[in-house]
Amino acid sequence: MRQRLALVLVALAAFLAVLGVMLRAWVYPHVVAVPDNQYQAVVLEAKDATLIDYSSMTAVPHQHVTIVETLKGDAAAAQAEKKRTGRDVVVWDALSYVLGNDGKRLSAIPEVYPFDAHTQDPVHCCGENVDGDALSRVGIEYKFPFDTQPHDYQYFDPQTRTSAPIHYKGTTTLDGLTVYYFEQTIPWTRVPFPKAMPAGVAITPDQIDKLGYQRWYTTVRKFWVDPVTGAPINGEELHDEQLRMPPSSGMAPVTIFSGDVRIRPDYQAATVALVKKERTLLLMLRDYLPFGLPLLGLVALALAFVVEGRARIRAARTPQGRAAASVADADEDGGAGDVPSAQGAPAAPL
Amino acid sequence: MRALIAAAVGAAVAVVVALVAVPLADQNGPTTAKPLLTSAPAHP
Repeated sequence: MRQRLALVLVALAAFLAVLGVMLRAWVYPHVVAVPDNQYQAVVLEAKDATLIDYSSMTAVPHQHVTIVETLKGDAAAAQAEKKRTGRDVVVWDALSYVLGNDGKRLSAIPEVYPFDAHTQDPVHCCGENVDGDALSRVGIEYKFPFDTQPHDYQYFDPQTRTSAPIHYKGTTTLDGLTVYYFEQTIPWTRVPFPKAMPAGVAITPDQIDKLGYQRWYTTVRKFWVDPVTGAPINGEELHDEQLRMPPSSGMAPVTIFSGDVRIRPDYQAATVALVKKERTLLLMLRDYLPFGLPLLGLVALALAFVVEGRARIRAARTPQGRAAASVADADEDGGAGDVPSAQGAPAAPL
Repeated sequence: MRALIAAAVGAAVAVVVALVAVPLADQNGPTTAKPLLTSAPAHP
């Protein structure tokens, strides 16, 4: 009976050790994925921003701008792509809706962003676009990959429709979490006008283009990223846009928008709470279980040695003891003892 | 010898459990990590 217990403990030790390795090497990379049906919204603000007044074509300071960003996972498109390619894909329908002091729309830019649910590599399908312009993204957008590493990434900028490095600048602590700080600078670049112009502005982007007006943009983009989930728990953008006139006009550029855009504190707090919850699940699969289970396996193996050793010591003490142990084991096991008996009992099945 | 067989059985069960867990996991199940949207804020 003791030998059976020892064998069970050996099997358990092997089970725990191998399961720990498999969780890390096989289950984690295959199971951890971005949901394809998520809906999420966040509100950002630019206090004391400068905003263009199109009626007078002047920049007006001390404006309060609110940006509502929404992400909606297009589950039907993701499932169709999975059926076609076998790949777990997420298709985000994103919308940035910008409101001025009076609550009226300043702009609204939609995006379709398809990417691999596990690695976050871009996937080119499902009507990928920014503001209706078809494109092929390079790099990441919105979220960093699971298990984010402290190095630079290519980050897609939807204004310029191009990707540029977002630089790892260091590790810091934010709201009790260790986070990586990333920063990307987009230099002054000519960018297209949004197709949805501010409410009340009758002119269209095409008409503006034909007049020779140009929209130029620069930004410094900052992210504080939880490396476990790859989720930014805070973000900020120092954003400037100008309306530049044809050189022949002799007119100076007019600021369209200039402001420091930050996440509203209540949304930032909710983000941190969500990340803390989600990262625990990931850490269980990535670290706690893969390292904890083999340790438990070692304990089981040690117990197996103890049980087996005590059985052998007891059997080896005296001929009488060996006989008694043999009889006792024969009683417990239905006839099979774990050591050969001095009196000719059946040999142990080991 | 029996100890080796026991270890092999334990390891084989662990591999099977891990292999079965992957297809059973739903992409939208509890082991996923929800991404967060906190970027590309301003497009006035």
